[in-house]
This record gives sequence, structure tokens and C-alpha cells, in this order.
Amino acid sequence: MATGNGTLQGKVVIVTGGGTGLGKAAALLMAKEGADIVIAARRVNAIEQTAREVKDLGGRALAIPTDVTDGKQVNSMVERTIAEMGGLDILLNNAGIVRGQVPKQLWELSDEEWRLGIDTNLSGTFYCCRATMKHFVDQGHGKIINIASGNGMRGSRGDYMYGTAKAGVINLSRVLATTFAQNNIQVNCIAPGFVDVRHMQPEPATGEVTRTAKFIPVGRFGVPNDIGHLVLFLASEASDYVTGGLFPNDGGGLAGGVAPTGYAPVIEMEED
Amino acid sequence: MGSNEFSLSGKTALVVGDSKYWSKYAGVALAEAGADVAIAARNTKRLEEAAGEVRRQGQKAITIPTDTTDASQVQKMVEQVVAEFGRIDIMVNASDLLFAKPFLEVSEGDWRRILDTNLTSAFHCCQAVGKQMIEQKKGRIINLLSCLAERGVENFAAYCASMGGVLQLTRVLDIEWARHGITVNAIGTGWISEVEKTEAPQEELLMKYMPLKRYGHPREMGPLLVYLASDTTDFFSGQFLYVDGAVMSHL
Repeated sequence: MATGNGTLQGKVVIVTGGGTGLGKAAALLMAKEGADIVIAARRVNAIEQTAREVKDLGGRALAIPTDVTDGKQVNSMVERTIAEMGGLDILLNNAGIVRGQVPKQLWELSDEEWRLGIDTNLSGTFYCCRATMKHFVDQGHGKIINIASGNGMRGSRGDYMYGTAKAGVINLSRVLATTFAQNNIQVNCIAPGFVDVRHMQPEPATGEVTRTAKFIPVGRFGVPNDIGHLVLFLASEASDYVTGGLFPNDGGGLAGGVAPTGYAPVIEMEED
Repeated sequence: MGSNEFSLSGKTALVVGDSKYWSKYAGVALAEAGADVAIAARNTKRLEEAAGEVRRQGQKAITIPTDTTDASQVQKMVEQVVAEFGRIDIMVNASDLLFAKPFLEVSEGDWRRILDTNLTSAFHCCQAVGKQMIEQKKGRIINLLSCLAERGVENFAAYCASMGGVLQLTRVLDIEWARHGITVNAIGTGWISEVEKTEAPQEELLMKYMPLKRYGHPREMGPLLVYLASDTTDFFSGQFLYVDGAVMSHL
């Protein structure tokens, strides 16, 4: 897909959790395509930094400090977006706490810990979808891209809240896609694999299989732009007929999963 | 599976395709539940051994040496079972020739042999037995597959393709034959061994990867097989169920 062609010219996008990592990478890629970006997350410094970088690319940007687990804050963030940016076309639900295994036994988890995990990774996405959907229905178009996880498709040891919430995000996306398909609203889900968000390098280093990434079929961790480019596709009109989809972007991990990567026996056919 | 709900008493089963594991273990599981069992596959010695195990359960057993890649032999096999048992209530299709090799080294002959043995055999057996079951207005078809019907492992391209083919055959026949009272399901087995495998370093790697830290034994498919064959599953069709030590569910 060619980039830098203004595919998203004039579109207004909300990116939750856009201060760092995937959200930031996707925000900058969309800004390069001409989109105006609203970054909504808790960390003020981080979202303001992203907003500055968007503006450097020539786009309009707005940083709105938001705790997505609070439905009221989400509502006012969306209202402010529409008022100040003059519209809203695309929502990227990326906010969440990436935490798989909980360092506790199941029976030691409190109600609060359970709710926090579910709220951050599932309720936040629901609140944002709820807050934007009426606007999308009224204007007759809209796109929602939800960041789920392979953890929402398969079980991971000790991963009680994150995986469960992400599984919820996956099915919430299907429900919304089904419910609002006739309103010309596309809702899709991305399941990233292991993405190294500490490095914001735009392009992956290819060819080199690092020891720690050996368990990933392509032999490297993902970089934020691996996911960002898929966001770009799902945000653009190239995906207007795509809805209710679940797109793993994981270096091939989910295609296997019954044997460790690198397990490659040679077995001759047994003669009768 | 001691409950009467799952009894196969008075039923006749055909276990077809593979004499390596399944003739014996599927045959015994069905016989334990009360079914008489016809066993058909290529290897005569193992066939007789499997039949002996079935008879030890106090059930009738017949063996029918059959090359399931040959449609006419399969047709004769079905006729023989019907002649001896009167009907075929249950078919367990277990064609399962294992093969793994780097993809670029897989010859045309390898490919054809795997596809013929695992997939075309299922086509022949389902067609010939299905005809009989439609006449009976009832039947149970259970395709014994590998989890590799749904997932990839390096070097298993031909095998995975053959298993995936039978899985889709399962889903289509379920829809086509539901109205005839025939249920069609598939069982996906995980890593299976009759013996402890701990020798090769690669096997150790695999062992560590498995949530249960062990291979499954072929007899562990038995209870699910009996459940799917029983009268309790009239409304249960078109499904792919795993007996896999949780390898399919973990990330």
C-alpha cells in the first residue's frame, strides 16, 4: 500500500492510548496520510508529545487527557473532539494495560484487581465505541479499529484479566460490526503478537533472528509500525467492505501453536 | 463411560483406515461400550490383533483387509459389513499416514500418497458408508484427525493439507446429511504416542511446550469417541473437538 498519498486527508481520528507504542506509531502514520489526530490517554506529557509530532507532520492535533475507564470522561473527550475538530471519522481503541501473567495466585486476586484489568482493556473500548457510535450513525459512516491480542484468542498461563478482556474486545467488535454494518460503519479488530514498543524504529530490522525472538516464526519481535500499517489499511477506504474481521499481526505465531517454533521433524511414511 | 446413557449395546461399528493405533484403540473403546466392531485397514496382522482385543471385550469382531484408496474395495468392505452385521451405526474413519519433510523436498509421489491415504480414503469411506446410513435414516460418522487439520507445523505441509481436507469434508457432510439423521463430527488428537518418547532433544523441546508435559495415549480418545457414537448426540454435529492435552488452547 502506497503511503504519503493523503489517503486520510480531512479525516478526524481518535487514538486512545496514543502517547506511546502502537498508538503513537499508528497516529503518526495516519497523520502522514493527512489525518487530523486526537490523542486521548492518561499521561499528559506523552500525549502532548505525540500531538506535537503530528503537528510537525502538518496535521491538526489535539491532546485530551482521558481515563478511558471513566465513561463520562470518554463522552466529554468525544464531544470535545467533534466540537473542536469539526467531526469524527475513525476511532482507534488502543488504550489498555499490557499485562499477561499476573504475579498472584487466582484466589489471591481481589475484585478490584479483576475490575481494573477488565475495565482498562474491555470497558474502556466499550465506552469509546458507545460515545462515538451515535455520531457515526447520524453521519452515515465511521470506522472503528480495536486492538485486541493473541491472548484473547488463546489461553496463556496465569493471564486472567488481560486475555479475558481481549477476548471480550474481539467479540464486542463482531457484535458492533454486525449491528452497524447497514449504517456503513466498519468495525475490525487487530490481534498483535509480541511487539517491542520500546523501540519506535519505523521499519523492522530484517534477516536477523534474535535469540529471544526465536519462538516467533519470522524470527523477530514486531515493531509498532507493523501494527500501524494494518491500522492504516483498516482506517482507509481500501477496507470499506471489510468489517467484523479479526486480523492477527503476529509474525506467524497463531498459525502454529501446537509445537514450538523450530520443531521440524522429518518423518518417513511407514510402510505397511 | 460406564453410564447406560452412552451404551452402544446392540450397535455395529466400522473402524476403518488405520491399523497403527486406531483400529485397536477405537475398536476397544467402542466394544467396551457394547458395540460389535468391523475393522478394516491394510495391515492384516495388526487387524487381527485389534479384532482379538475387541473379542476380549465380549463383542463380535470381523476384519476386512481393505485398501481404502481404492473405491471398489471400500464398496465391497461396506457390503461385507452389512452382510455380516446387518447395518452400520457408527463409522470411525481413521486414515492417518504420518509424514514430514521440508516442503521443497516433498515429491509428487509423496504428496499424492498422503492425500490419497488420508483424504481420498475419507472420501471413499464417507460416500460408501453414507449411502448405507441414509438408507438406515441414522448414522454416526466420526473422523479421527490430528490438530494439524487446523494448525501448521514445519515440514508437515502434505499431512496438514490432508487433515484439513477431511475437516472441511466433515463440515460439509454434516450439513448435507443432517436431515438424514446422520451426525458427522471430527476429533483432533494432539501429540500421541503409545510409548514414552523422551530420547531425541527435539522431542524434549516438544514435551516442554505441551501444557500437560506429556504425549497423549491413543486410548484417551476412547471416551469422546463413545460419546459421539452414542444416542445422546442426535443434536451434536459438524464439530471439531480436541483431545490434545490443551495444546490447541494455549498461546
